[in-house]
Amino acid sequence: MKNNRFFFWSLAGPGSVFLVLFLILPLISIIVFSFWRTESYQLYADWNLDNYRVLATNASYATFLIRSLVMATVVSAVSLVFAWPAAFFITRYGGQFKIILLLLTSTPFLTGEILRVTAMQQILGPIGLINMALGSFGFDPIAFIMYTNTSTAIGLVYLWLPFMVLAIHLSLLNFDFELLQVAKVNGARPLRAFWEITWPLNRAGSAIGVVLVFIPTLASSIPSKFMGGPNGSLFGNILANQFGSTGTWALGSAMGVVLFLVSMLVLFLVWKSIGDPKRSGITIKGGG
Amino acid sequence: MPKNLSFYMQIIVLLALYAFLYLPILYIVYASVQVDAIWPFPPDFTGEHFVSIWRNSDYIAGFKNSLIIGVGTGIISSLLATMAAIGILKYRVRGSKFIAGLFLSPLFIAHILIGISSLMFNKTLLGLPGNIFSAIIANATYATAFAFLVVIAQLARYDWRLDEAAMVFGATPGQTFREITLPLVWPAIFGAFIVSFLLAFNNLEISFYNLGATPTLPTLAWGSLRNGISQELYALAALINAAVFAFLGSLYVLLRLGVIRLSFKD
Repeated sequence: MKNNRFFFWSLAGPGSVFLVLFLILPLISIIVFSFWRTESYQLYADWNLDNYRVLATNASYATFLIRSLVMATVVSAVSLVFAWPAAFFITRYGGQFKIILLLLTSTPFLTGEILRVTAMQQILGPIGLINMALGSFGFDPIAFIMYTNTSTAIGLVYLWLPFMVLAIHLSLLNFDFELLQVAKVNGARPLRAFWEITWPLNRAGSAIGVVLVFIPTLASSIPSKFMGGPNGSLFGNILANQFGSTGTWALGSAMGVVLFLVSMLVLFLVWKSIGDPKRSGITIKGGG
Repeated sequence: MPKNLSFYMQIIVLLALYAFLYLPILYIVYASVQVDAIWPFPPDFTGEHFVSIWRNSDYIAGFKNSLIIGVGTGIISSLLATMAAIGILKYRVRGSKFIAGLFLSPLFIAHILIGISSLMFNKTLLGLPGNIFSAIIANATYATAFAFLVVIAQLARYDWRLDEAAMVFGATPGQTFREITLPLVWPAIFGAFIVSFLLAFNNLEISFYNLGATPTLPTLAWGSLRNGISQELYALAALINAAVFAFLGSLYVLLRLGVIRLSFKD
């Protein structure tokens, strides 16, 4: 119907234009810049492939990227395991107080990344609360949480786990908990009911949660900067350097493009792992 | 309410999660009332950092700018996201799936990429310097995607034929919107605003590259790192968290008394 199209575009149009202008166009521009050249903090339109050649031939970039990929996989998996029971409880038993329980997981964002990460560093570090308490009882400090990749991972789980809780909660909002009663009446134990009903019907929520944690972790720089060890730099640290101290924007753009392509690949794999979207709890029914 | 093993396991994980999330914040609150933040043991209490916030105009300006970014982003994102979600759910025209994908796409782009791409686009191609408006716009691209996710998940179960029924019975479009649509969508708009505000208020990686010389809470924190984070920032964080808990506390009381309702089903 013509009328429907008019109403649709008057509602969705402004946001679409906004996103194309301020998100898609800038992203296309960094693809362009990645083929340019930087000299003394200025970009020059000399079309070349040097930036990509540097990334491909200098092995350290691959090392940083692989370290970031491993980190993002571990952090997403850990977040998934801990977010599920929490999100399930909030949605199932939260009643009208759901929003308060949920907000409690997200309000730490208001305190800011730097303050929270440095506070975490103070708690886990050698003169931190945990190791000082252990020391005062005569125990050795826990070495693996001081300036290691493990402490970076703890910091990253800390930062992005609320996204996972939100994604699973939003998926469970449209889940019919009566199904679990039916399963119980028919003799299924809670774990089996979870695996055969709750998990498959909310795969989309888990998948969106994994993406929401994976993408920021892949590009993160703050936790590794403060909590990581001497070999703790991640891809995000090197990327941020190009726009900070070294001012090599063109190389940074190429790194950004690589990051973007890797993110798309992950997105594709996660999407494939969902399988048939009609049976996975995806609620957006468009088209037709 | 069934009290079985999995119920207790869930509540333990949830409580452990809250403890984990608030441990650093408790530490910040503790450090804000200590004389020395680098070596805060044994405790040596003081309130001077709360007083000296008011003596340095940077902290006040930073807080105000962060608030402007948070509220500005919240308004833009919740509005754009709610409109689009209603359009997609109500009028299932061709291309609405594609538009849903467009609205979700910022979720798949890292913060730092959003930050640097809008910096370079504005500066190199448009010649625009960074300021608070470019920071709001860059934050709003990402926050709109989150807001859209929140709104569409909440509105998916609303029967969008209700307002057609109201029109059939003679309600004007304005009446239908006020009496049918708005009461049903306002919790979703509220949720979208809160989420976008939370994301933008103290955002570092998007804001940092687009702010120019505008001070905000995260840029002040970044700037003070060289000499150890200034304790006025701890004190400000403590005040912000006090405000958050006052807000959540009043929300709890209002829900308990039934003054406001936020749920479709219960």
